Amino acid sequence: MSKKSIAAFLLLAAVTAGAINLSLAQIDASRLLLAQEVDLYVGVTAEDGRPLSGLPAEAFRVYESADGQDYREVRELSAFKPAAGASEGITFLLVIDNSGSMYDSVRGGKTGDPALMRVNHAKEAVRSFLTSMTGPADRVGLASYNTFYRGLVAPGQDRERVTGALEGITRPEPEEAYTELYASLTLAVREFAGARGRKAVIILSDGENFPYAQHSGKPHPEFKNKIFAHTEPIRACLEEGITVYAVNFGPTRDRRLRDIAVETGGQVFDASNRGELAGVYRRIHEQVAAEYRLTYRAGMQPAERKFVRVRAAQGGGAAEATRFYFSTTVFGLPLGSLSWLLLVPFLLAGLGVWGTTRLRLESRPGPARLEVLHTRVGSASTRALPLAGAKTVIGGSPKADITIVGAPGVQGEHATVLFDPKTRGYTIVGGGDITVNNRPVKSRRLEAGDVIDVGGATIVFDDGKTE
Amino acid sequence: MTTLARKLILAALGILAGAAVWPAAELVLFFQPRFASYLPFLAVLGAVTGLLLGAVFGTAEGITSRIKSRIPAGLALGALIGLAGGAVGLLAGQAALWLFGEAALRSYRSFRTVVLPVSRAVGWAVLGLFVGVGEGVRAASLKKAAVGALGGLIGGLAGGFALEYAALLFPKLAYPRLLGFLILGLAIGVFYGLVERGLSYGVLRLLAGPLKGKEFLLNQRRMNIGQARSNQIALPGYRMADRQAQIRIRRGEVSLANLEPGVAVLVNERKIQESRLKYGDVLAIGPARLFFKYE
Repeated sequence: MSKKSIAAFLLLAAVTAGAINLSLAQIDASRLLLAQEVDLYVGVTAEDGRPLSGLPAEAFRVYESADGQDYREVRELSAFKPAAGASEGITFLLVIDNSGSMYDSVRGGKTGDPALMRVNHAKEAVRSFLTSMTGPADRVGLASYNTFYRGLVAPGQDRERVTGALEGITRPEPEEAYTELYASLTLAVREFAGARGRKAVIILSDGENFPYAQHSGKPHPEFKNKIFAHTEPIRACLEEGITVYAVNFGPTRDRRLRDIAVETGGQVFDASNRGELAGVYRRIHEQVAAEYRLTYRAGMQPAERKFVRVRAAQGGGAAEATRFYFSTTVFGLPLGSLSWLLLVPFLLAGLGVWGTTRLRLESRPGPARLEVLHTRVGSASTRALPLAGAKTVIGGSPKADITIVGAPGVQGEHATVLFDPKTRGYTIVGGGDITVNNRPVKSRRLEAGDVIDVGGATIVFDDGKTE
Repeated sequence: MTTLARKLILAALGILAGAAVWPAAELVLFFQPRFASYLPFLAVLGAVTGLLLGAVFGTAEGITSRIKSRIPAGLALGALIGLAGGAVGLLAGQAALWLFGEAALRSYRSFRTVVLPVSRAVGWAVLGLFVGVGEGVRAASLKKAAVGALGGLIGGLAGGFALEYAALLFPKLAYPRLLGFLILGLAIGVFYGLVERGLSYGVLRLLAGPLKGKEFLLNQRRMNIGQARSNQIALPGYRMADRQAQIRIRRGEVSLANLEPGVAVLVNERKIQESRLKYGDVLAIGPARLFFKYE
């Protein structure tokens, strides 16, 4: 599947068929394995963007598809919860642009009057947003960005800390005045570590992504020469289930910010004055808080991913949205059809195991022999030598029966094994220093399994018997 | 049997196990839509896979120890432990796959080339881990369980990758999963053998008698030596007590103790009651002669 088409699948395919809009903000399939259930977080808004609350379960239809073509309707929702975002709490992170242009006026010109500066409008909007937060379980954090991303307050329930931290946002030095929009959004994701439930980033931006490394001609102090693409915050946010809401103000707009918001399930708002901004924040909050949670029992059709379509109808209007979740299994998809051929490897395996158990692994009787186990120095000319004659020589000489090469301490005829036809026994006689079973000997009658050391070569005497 | 031969037999059994698993797994997979939910489906799939892998690997001990009476018991016990380990392992692997996959999925640019293979291989590794632990459970040895876990984990991961990339690289292959299962079994067998050797404290090589040439890996804290087939180092046919001596491993030191005074136990021809061993020592336990070596 091409990159484009996968991206298209991921994209919230919100189709408006009437006077309402529907967004499938998040699919939570974490209970799929144990409970076979999938939770869908669905936002429904009127044409003017106001959330539509109070819709009954019957207003929703849920469909599931293994291929994105044929959809099977889910007969019954196993749970339905309106205003699911509000009761379970939402974690917000407010990210304020603190680049140089934020100290211009809202209309675009330079100004010395703080009251006219965009940054103060943004701060005022944050304060207004904080007062609008009425849900006791909501958490909020604050961050700012310019050349650098700065996490100011980690998401928590203390709103006073956020208000206090706003005062710490001051005009940046020229080196800090760039706009690392994509990098900062990517880094903002880490503020949500451990947060559960719905997560939203609200980013206030007055301009385009304006990376330091690209425009200053120097490597960024932290990111070096890396230029963040707009796909990076999308990926990071989707991984963590974070929705991005973007608030554009000022005359310039980042052309990719809309993609980031829409692909993560959020929206872009334009706010040109302070009052409008406050309204936008309230609307976002209301939208997320008013989301419906639809729980349904997932089907068992094999698929690498399952597509879910939610449709809502209200009055004369209807809307739907499609998104997918990961449903592949460790073994993957089944074969198209079963064949008797499948039995072949099974039978062969059974036969193979049976054959392995029949392997004759006992040693067989044979002639007496010497086996070189290993050599500490140098190497031996042979690994195993049957004792055929009356005399077998071990030593450094090429004429020896077992030649130990490259071991300086070994004499030409270092040891000799003699066969006594009367007793049918073998005796080893040392020309140089030898040991048998780690005991120094000059001469010794050999027994089965004796370990002889000749100048670092370990040789075992095998009498050939298996009794 | 030398340690090399043991490794080869483990590898061969791994391939056979893979061949046995494939049709059974395909059968269960085919009936996925008939299951009510993922939990019983994956439990059955894992149980069937584990049962067959466990049964085949369960025969290894009997084959390599040359004690054939151990084969049926090993097979049955291996199957039983594999059944449980496979069910738990596949569920754990699936949980790992979905957890990892759901997060990694978002990098949709590489869905098929990275996300799917990597997350599935993670699932395979967890499955391999549980199947591998079975041998340790069977032998009631923590050390063997660790060997099995590590061998199974690495084998599962390697096999999982092979399985996924076989399908990617050879899209025209009729049964890529068969190839994958064969590689998976082979990888588990090979890595089990390698880890087993790597984590052992040395090898005792039998130098005389009917089992001469056989090597015993010292990989448990206490290993009994004697005539009885239940011993870790079983020497049937050698004149000695059922449980004659014991190898003890304490803080990395290997020692040998004589448990029955009737038969002499010697280290380098010196009679001992208990003695620390070093590589190169020659042990005599009754008529059995053993050489203690590192490799």
